[in-house]
Amino acid sequence: MSILLKKALKLSILPAVIMIAGKFVGVMALIIAYNLQFEVGNEVSGIFSTQIFLANESSTLFVNSLSDMAMLVVLGIPTLYMIIRTTVLQSVKNNPRTIAKMVKFNILKWITSSTSTFLKIFIWTTFVLITSIITVSNSLRAESYAWVGIAGGVLSLLCIWGLIKTFEIETDKVYPNSREHSYF
Amino acid sequence: MINKRKNTKFKELFSKIMEPIALGILALLFIIPSITVINLEPITKNLKQFTDVLGVTTSSEIIIDLVGGTHEILSGERVYKNDNGEYIYEATLTKRESDFYSKPILRIENRTDEDKNITLLGTTINPTRSDIGLIINNQTYKLQKSNGESQSVEILLKAQSKYDVYLTVESVVGIQFSEDFEMKITVE
Repeated sequence: MSILLKKALKLSILPAVIMIAGKFVGVMALIIAYNLQFEVGNEVSGIFSTQIFLANESSTLFVNSLSDMAMLVVLGIPTLYMIIRTTVLQSVKNNPRTIAKMVKFNILKWITSSTSTFLKIFIWTTFVLITSIITVSNSLRAESYAWVGIAGGVLSLLCIWGLIKTFEIETDKVYPNSREHSYF
Repeated sequence: MINKRKNTKFKELFSKIMEPIALGILALLFIIPSITVINLEPITKNLKQFTDVLGVTTSSEIIIDLVGGTHEILSGERVYKNDNGEYIYEATLTKRESDFYSKPILRIENRTDEDKNITLLGTTINPTRSDIGLIINNQTYKLQKSNGESQSVEILLKAQSKYDVYLTVESVVGIQFSEDFEMKITVE
């Protein structure tokens, strides 16, 4: 089995768990916080038969929208963090003045310890994209607020941009520009 | 030496077998969360605290029960209470040949000791070339004319009495598409 596949498998588990947990915890937290009447029942349709039922349409819309948003936030924040870290790393590398500032604030280690690989960002971005597709389709079907769908769309565009940027950075490592050099 | 070679061969074979399985697992790691999240989306349903097992109950003991069952042109029937306190009966009128159709849809029961008035207003979402009406206690009422014009029907429910409500659909020409029918029931 290839190392890439092994690594991809290992890296996919956490965002998959976070995606489900974000939605489930979001739904349950809202039901408990707003004391909504709910029922867990079985419907024959669908792949899984267990479903959550709420008493009226306005609370269904509210819970669905905010749990979609919770899912976007828990997946979006780590992805954006990894992207920002990688892009900051790149800009720091080419700028000795920024390096000096980093050293002054004692945060150079945060930049230099590169744990955010392209594969990791690719997998997290894929999960953000899946989540965005779900939230946008929910908004289009009027099953969640429009602003949740817009937020999902914007987040997915940001993540795609970050992924392309990370790809450029990774290819620069393979084919480095001879006129530029790293300061650390 | 032979053992070592055997071990290497076994490892190679094992990795060849494992690779497609691992690819499948990787795909599942993306598919399963997506399906789970879609499935976790809440659905609106009349819950037991607000409703009777077979239909909708008001606090003043007017019971509106769905008759249910199957019918050649009526499907997806449901009755629920909306946020404005009105009862909504929804069904889909499937494509049909020109004919007269009727089906018992609701049983309304006035359990109080006084007479109550209810208003029924039913329309299809799009204009239809069918006459839609109700039959209650052998009395016919028109809900929607073939040109799409709809009118409300007022019924007096006598104290401690039950009423079977039949929905009638009369199509002069064959209808080749499905229509969503919605009827608002207001208890006064």
